[in-house]
Amino acid sequence: MIKSKSSGKEKRIEAEMITVATTRKIIHLVVNGKDREVEVRPNELLVDVLRERLGLTGTKIGCEAGECGACTVLINGKPNLSCLTLAIECEGKNILTIEGIGDVERGNLHPLQKAFVEYYGVQCGFCTPAMILTAKALLEKDPDPKEIEIREAINGVICRCTGYMQIIESISAAAKAMKGNARE
Amino acid sequence: MPVSEKQFQYVGKSIPPRELFDKVTGRFQYVGDMPSELYGKILRSPHPHARIKHIDTSRVEKLSGVEAVLTHRDVPPRKLPRRDQRACYILEDHVRFVGDEVAAVAARTRAIAEEALDLFEVEYEILPPVFDPEEAAKPEAPQLYPGGNVYGPQFGMMIEKGLNEPVIMEWGEIEEGFKEADVVIEDKVEVKPQIHSPIESHICIARWRGDELTLWTATQSPYEVRMSIAHALDMPEGKVRIIYGAIGGGFGSKYIERYQPITVLLSKKANGKSTKIVLTREEELCHASRAGAKIRVKLGVKRDGTITAIYLKGFFNLGGYGNIIGGCGRFGEESPCLTYKYQNARFEGWDVHTNHITSQPCRGVALPTLTFAMENVIDQAAERLNMDPVEFRLRNLPETDTMMPVKPHKNPIYPRAELEAYPAQQILREVAEKIDWERFKGHQQPVFVEGSQSRGLGIAASQGWGGFCIGGFINETVIINNDGSVHILSGHTDLGTGSNTTLRQIAAEALGISIEDVTMATGDTLIGHFDMIGARGSRSMTTAGHLILVAIEQAKNKIRQMAAPLLEVEPEEIDVRGKKAYVKGDEERAILLRELLTSTVKCTVGGDPREWLLIKGTMWPMVAQGKKTRNPVVAASEVEVDLETGVVKPIRIITGNSPGRMINPTIVRGQYIGAAAMTLGMALWEEFKYDEQNSVYEHASLTDYKVPRAMDVPPIENVIIEEFVERPLDVGGPYGARGAGELAGLGIVASIANAIHNATGVRVRRTPMTAEKVLEAIEEKREKKK
Repeated sequence: MIKSKSSGKEKRIEAEMITVATTRKIIHLVVNGKDREVEVRPNELLVDVLRERLGLTGTKIGCEAGECGACTVLINGKPNLSCLTLAIECEGKNILTIEGIGDVERGNLHPLQKAFVEYYGVQCGFCTPAMILTAKALLEKDPDPKEIEIREAINGVICRCTGYMQIIESISAAAKAMKGNARE
Repeated sequence: MPVSEKQFQYVGKSIPPRELFDKVTGRFQYVGDMPSELYGKILRSPHPHARIKHIDTSRVEKLSGVEAVLTHRDVPPRKLPRRDQRACYILEDHVRFVGDEVAAVAARTRAIAEEALDLFEVEYEILPPVFDPEEAAKPEAPQLYPGGNVYGPQFGMMIEKGLNEPVIMEWGEIEEGFKEADVVIEDKVEVKPQIHSPIESHICIARWRGDELTLWTATQSPYEVRMSIAHALDMPEGKVRIIYGAIGGGFGSKYIERYQPITVLLSKKANGKSTKIVLTREEELCHASRAGAKIRVKLGVKRDGTITAIYLKGFFNLGGYGNIIGGCGRFGEESPCLTYKYQNARFEGWDVHTNHITSQPCRGVALPTLTFAMENVIDQAAERLNMDPVEFRLRNLPETDTMMPVKPHKNPIYPRAELEAYPAQQILREVAEKIDWERFKGHQQPVFVEGSQSRGLGIAASQGWGGFCIGGFINETVIINNDGSVHILSGHTDLGTGSNTTLRQIAAEALGISIEDVTMATGDTLIGHFDMIGARGSRSMTTAGHLILVAIEQAKNKIRQMAAPLLEVEPEEIDVRGKKAYVKGDEERAILLRELLTSTVKCTVGGDPREWLLIKGTMWPMVAQGKKTRNPVVAASEVEVDLETGVVKPIRIITGNSPGRMINPTIVRGQYIGAAAMTLGMALWEEFKYDEQNSVYEHASLTDYKVPRAMDVPPIENVIIEEFVERPLDVGGPYGARGAGELAGLGIVASIANAIHNATGVRVRRTPMTAEKVLEAIEEKREKKK
């Protein structure tokens, strides 16, 4: 291991090591609108349950320390870092991941997804699920955010590719589109 | 046969990349989304410089769940060739920086692998370290390699020995030039390493089936990975398959690295079980960087503003295993040395190994660093002559048809040639206008002061080599299917920049078909389409695009031959577009390709290594001799500095570039803004911190290492001048396009430094220009005044 003063010592590893023998527990989650029952260790992280147990790999891992924001999901509508959230803390809660947005099977994208494509708010795509979910929570709270409010909302999610401009343009465009839809 | 703009269906259109649909729905599969049977971990050196006397792995091997252990005793006796870097063993008994690879383990779970790391017992013989590249260049310094720490200026995959000489680029007589000068400025700057920090860490999964290896990895340079691993393991390249279709950001960091062959060997020891290594964020932040550098510049100018001489001497920190392209980068093949009409010049670059983390090229390689060093003295020269910074630069910028360099090279790496389509002066004027340069009141006179807040403007010019186009680097195959649709096998790598889409646009345009009729295979070395250097130098689209157009022209010629007897004309009279062959000027006399073709028509081009040697005055070997294609670059910044705290807040940034002709304007703009934001981080916030006394990294998290966030980055606007020479389709950059990826990032650091000077009257000569450093400079100035 490198010598560094990093304090973000991975919760996952400590947890896994301490509790290999600990009893598992069944929890109930509502993931993307579907009831899911999962048997978890008490120290298992939400991000691992989503990615490894439920196969929802759209949620990304970038730092495992709550710094990059790539693992953001919505818990009861609010952005949360799934790499810092224990799965058992989510008993009975509504969890929305990128897979739960839009109707992919029918080819219908959510207005945010459409705008991220059209305005090229995506380059490598690794932060994109977190950006879209964060933006979704913002627009539900404030359907007409100012640029600075968009910047504040997505400040916790790092994008290394775009310089944020086209992400902000995507979110603004989606807000307009959604307002238009609401009026109809 | 110049192309006419009117007929464009796809060129110049912002077509969204197809893979964005998968990226916005979470279905795009990265390497980390794939399962693996085993998880690998690397034991890293706690010492900056040491020899491993003994490693005891017995306790590791006994740990339940461990399936493979690897030390320097287990690696092949053949070195791992790495482009532009010293070849090295996969592991060895000599460690050269804190974090260097010592040993590795693969286990059934990640937790077991982590636990196993604590069970290695390693006895080190501590060697004296050296961290400063200038010190390390001295013969008496601790030696990291036999034969010396200086590495250059040679070039080649298997070069293992340094030459202990600097890279030199020189023309005219600088001593004469300084004699002619009325004013001579001398200064030095220091640039800290910048960590690439892609959000997806370095990652790979290796799996063996018999003697065949598959490696899934996020890499910018798959064929380099294949070649290196095959060589080190002494196996045929064809038995090494690299799958690299999804990359979560690279920025120059994702080439061949030791973690990949380490994973390969762990998997082999574990009977071929799939084995995954993913670097932690801490490892990611402590293993490779843009090279740190110390650069001295001496500039001579006449009273009328003519630059008579420049002498630049730089020491670039390659760290333990660094990459010379990530050092002075052989002065970017003249860029940015040709930014101005320097009458006499000497550029001297020392690429030196130290006991720091390894240097890797990072977006713009040495160009942002060199531009910062040079523009720092350019700005001071303008000040000393009491000239407006924009006027001073305009006086010295070359333009289209200027013969560059001004005098012939002393060591003719490149012949002199005229710059082609080079609107540098126009870009500078338009950038100045966009940032409202009229507000500039004079050097050290802020444009606006309120309380302790002082606003300043800064400008910088540079030049880039991006988007070069050498056919020898890469293979492209164009296949015209029986139905007239097209399939392309491409050696290039789409790093997430949308280059697959841009290339499909180019092909659809050239064949007059729908973009939906153009498919592309890339991302897997099984197609055997070599790319010598991978996605670097802003050249995926230009090189691959050019070669695709060459292949299309060849395919059309084959079709012309086939159609001529049926259409009863000579082949030259036939055009091939819109899935049919027809007589030029009479589209009614046509034959549909699906009726004409009984098999596919396939043409493969590129990969002729002789083309690498054919560079005669141009980066476009097939283009007119005596012309140089370079990218003029300008950046302007407005900053607000708090004189009490030293905090610098960027208010606005304008980039100025010439992409030739844009194939996909939204993608080009995205590249410009992204490059500007990344180098803004280098300028202001991203601080590599290493405690040399205690061998501890102090920046090893994204809380401590501050990459720009949405609230940090100001609006970034772009001046884009499309200027190009009309040529036949298969000659030069595709449709006149040049590269974009890095080219808006070259002048940002310099323009921020100059803006800080305008706001505060102080020059900050070390990056990142954090509040601490700015305040220190402000206070130093106040002391002097007293």
